[in-house]
Amino acid sequence: MPAFQIVKEKLPEGVVFLGVRGFLDAHTFEELEKAINDIFEEGIYKLVVDLAGLDYISSAGAGVFIGAIGTAQENDGNIILMKPSPNVKEVFDLLGLSQIFTFRDSRDEAAKALR
Amino acid sequence: MGETLKDRLVVTNDTKFLIVVRDFVSRCIRQSRLAREEENKVILAVDEAVTNIIEHGYDEGAEGSIEIEIEGTEEQFKVMIRDTGRVFNPESIPDPDMKDHVHRGHKKGLGIFLMRQIMDEVRYKFKDGVKNELTLVKFIR
Repeated sequence: MPAFQIVKEKLPEGVVFLGVRGFLDAHTFEELEKAINDIFEEGIYKLVVDLAGLDYISSAGAGVFIGAIGTAQENDGNIILMKPSPNVKEVFDLLGLSQIFTFRDSRDEAAKALR
Repeated sequence: MGETLKDRLVVTNDTKFLIVVRDFVSRCIRQSRLAREEENKVILAVDEAVTNIIEHGYDEGAEGSIEIEIEGTEEQFKVMIRDTGRVFNPESIPDPDMKDHVHRGHKKGLGIFLMRQIMDEVRYKFKDGVKNELTLVKFIR
């Protein structure tokens, strides 16, 4: 099984859903960074990222979201994070990012937060 | 008094080995007295330390080794990380202002902040002409 996987899906109203699985660390973060940059290049800045399948995140992984949220918000978009495991949420908490990012429990709620 | 846990791992400076480092630390924690709820955090602190060495310790393309030594006792879980790369003292790096970091889209420099948040002690020592040694300690409560 690969260390890290991304599933991409287009949702209505110009929203892109990304499901990430595995380990998001200094070895794999560039894959996610490229996927997000490719979406931005299509002119899409509303993203829902499902973290439920993510087993581990380090600051290199969290850094992808830190780097991208500003660009998304400057273009009337946002990045909504979904269902992090307790271990992954703990890293966002430790970094003080839980007050900066919006977390939702379902795709519908996440899409609503982007309207 | 229980027995002292001692183990050691050496990896080369490639991020593909981070997963090996994390598995090693996880195995040691499970054999130690450290509470299970500290496991993810302590693994993260070691990952961040090793990542910093891989990313900043050596010139691009230069191969170097990183040694991770673990000592677990009744009182503490101690990780010593040694490398022969560039001198780098994490104590010289201030904590980031996270709102400013996000505003500017800065992605780096968070590892040292995490190490300090997680561990009870983060000590750096440079042994002249030999190596950098970073010691991370978590006390067992």
